[in-house]
Amino acid sequence: MNARIALWLALGSLLPSTAAAVPVFARKYGVNCTLCHSAYPRLNDFGTRFRMNGYQLPGKESEERTVLETPAPFAARISGGFDLVRQYGAASPEDVTQFRLEGLDLLSAGVLGRHLGYLAVYVPPIPAARGLAGQEGTLEMASAVFRHLGTSWLNLRVGRFEPAYVAFSAKRQLSASPYEIYGFASPGGPAMDETQEGLELWGWGRGGVRYAAGWVNGASSNLLRDVPADAYLRLWYVLGEGEGQTAGQRLGITGQVGLARPQANQAAAREAFFRVAADASLNLRQWNLALQAVWTRDPASLWAAGGVAPSGTALDIWGGFAELSFMPEVSWVLFARGDAVFVPPETGRGEVLRTTAGARFYPVDNLAVHLEYSYRREAPAGTSPELTDHLATARVDFAF
Amino acid sequence: MRPLPRITAVFIAALAAPALAQGLLANRPLPAMPVPADNPQDQAKIDLGHQLYFDGRLSADGTISCATCHVPKTGWANHHPTDTGIRGQVGKRNSGTIIDAGYMRYQFWDGRAASLEEQALGPIHNPIEMGETLENVVRKLNAIPGYREQFRRVFGTDVTQEGIAKAIAAFERTIVSGPSPYDRFRMGEANALGASARRGLELFNGKGHCTSCHGGPAFSDDSFHNLGVGMAAAEPDPGREAITHDRRDRGRFKTPGLRNVAETSPYLHDGSAKTLRDVIDLYDRGGEPNPDLDPLMVPLGLTEREKQDLVAFLEALTGPAPVLEAPPLSPDAPPAPGAGGQP
Repeated sequence: MNARIALWLALGSLLPSTAAAVPVFARKYGVNCTLCHSAYPRLNDFGTRFRMNGYQLPGKESEERTVLETPAPFAARISGGFDLVRQYGAASPEDVTQFRLEGLDLLSAGVLGRHLGYLAVYVPPIPAARGLAGQEGTLEMASAVFRHLGTSWLNLRVGRFEPAYVAFSAKRQLSASPYEIYGFASPGGPAMDETQEGLELWGWGRGGVRYAAGWVNGASSNLLRDVPADAYLRLWYVLGEGEGQTAGQRLGITGQVGLARPQANQAAAREAFFRVAADASLNLRQWNLALQAVWTRDPASLWAAGGVAPSGTALDIWGGFAELSFMPEVSWVLFARGDAVFVPPETGRGEVLRTTAGARFYPVDNLAVHLEYSYRREAPAGTSPELTDHLATARVDFAF
Repeated sequence: MRPLPRITAVFIAALAAPALAQGLLANRPLPAMPVPADNPQDQAKIDLGHQLYFDGRLSADGTISCATCHVPKTGWANHHPTDTGIRGQVGKRNSGTIIDAGYMRYQFWDGRAASLEEQALGPIHNPIEMGETLENVVRKLNAIPGYREQFRRVFGTDVTQEGIAKAIAAFERTIVSGPSPYDRFRMGEANALGASARRGLELFNGKGHCTSCHGGPAFSDDSFHNLGVGMAAAEPDPGREAITHDRRDRGRFKTPGLRNVAETSPYLHDGSAKTLRDVIDLYDRGGEPNPDLDPLMVPLGLTEREKQDLVAFLEALTGPAPVLEAPPLSPDAPPAPGAGGQP
């Protein structure tokens, strides 16, 4: 049978007649997505504890079933819709006015034993064709999780994962528009929103203190596969009950050090970069305010253009965002965000400002109708024209 | 058209077959009542248990029977926060309903009894509840020819502790809730639940996090949790810890089933929540803070309407349950005083 026909037959059999949740964990436990997600895909406090506990219900680990004893541990997420993009100031604007498949992710996760779980996200390659947008294939995440190694202070993740220095997950964010500061990096540099290969320890106690510490390869900033040299430590504190996602108040700080070399000169010696970040997630009733500030000190060599490095030895980059969301009921959420990134002119880049507003409606809990408008402005140094782009999108985001 | 990569198609096709499989926590209709192999159900035994359940002579002063606290007309519980035993002594815990108790793995709030048979004898020799010794109960019942005859007919022996336990347990296994609006909804009767209750069902299985513990056919995980209730007291009830002597069990109490819960107020182990709404408010604020608070407890951020919807859903778990009167006791027996006496 043609694979595409098989796919649609399979999809058809999965369409829910009620708001039945079917992604991996919801199907395993027979619950709704909203058990762990407030405004899917964003995790709520319960979901955060579930994730921290190695994909097992906290306090009920003895009742867990492995992937061999539960429904098939597979899920998929599809996002697609109509995009309107207008760019101004670019030499060759990439305007869009069309329907697009924004992404197809295949996911598998589950429990393999009392102390062992895993999560894998595979983005299959979809060839572009006339009238069809493609996507590059990649194994976005694949990690084994060793939970509670004698104490809740010691849990270990090994493999490819989203590091804990991303305080607000770039993989589970509300908006289609990216967090600018997480994606802002020197050419080929260590962007925060890249998944990384390595290991991460994390833990928590009865109080509000939590930590995560990791040692990772450096992803795209380490093309020669040198000895891993990127390390980070994140500490955060939760005041009140909850995990600061929708209840309680969360304050965090992060430090990261690493080695990177210019993308254009792989023969060069690696130089150290530093990153310090502070974040807060503040909750009041159905309101959430997410704040993130990041300072990065890059070696100037990372910003070399045409083989010429900017003057000075280091460049400081500041940025962050503030996102306000309001979720009066489980069936809809409103959000608005401002992003800003400030860079010295030696980088050849200018300040980036983005303003985003949107809404997500959940007619059933594993399907979101997403409306968003985002305006982005980048003012390069020198005489280059200002780059602006507008994105208006209407999408459906479906997990099954 | 170029086909999808084979791995993609195979992966998604693998999703389809088990998509409708029941989850671990799913709330299904009640199955058949589990019956232990060494205590099969029969009508004579159930009738005997029925009499014993209502017989105050099982208590030291003849005033208290099982039915004194587990009253058929009030959902086989009663509406007092905690109950009063012999000589006016007041207990510390709420007497839960016996409806569907036979489905539970553990009995009592602290789970100290592993079966209905074990549970049935507990209140008899509890000094606050019925205050009698089991030896005395056996002696008293053996002195009543009618009971002695029934025990011989059912068990082939005179009255024994084991026989009393088995007969009461067999009777309690007949106290089962009937199909509720929720069950009828699950069976396909779309109008069995109103709009509010349907929204409540979604909340129950989602944002409310209720299913994490109140899962399964009886809406209980047969486990123990610390909600923080009463933990601020000078001498808090240790709950499960008193049985296991495990520090981690401090303040943990059994998850009660939720069928017919609307009939069994007040709630929680100490009866401190007068209404279902009070219970939901407790969960909404994430329980009462204490060092041993269950990690499953997090604030829920429920709106007023969501709370109302959850109450509506919980009310829809009410199905018809037997309401039995006290049976005539043995004619040779002396009149039984108190609530558990002769009709």
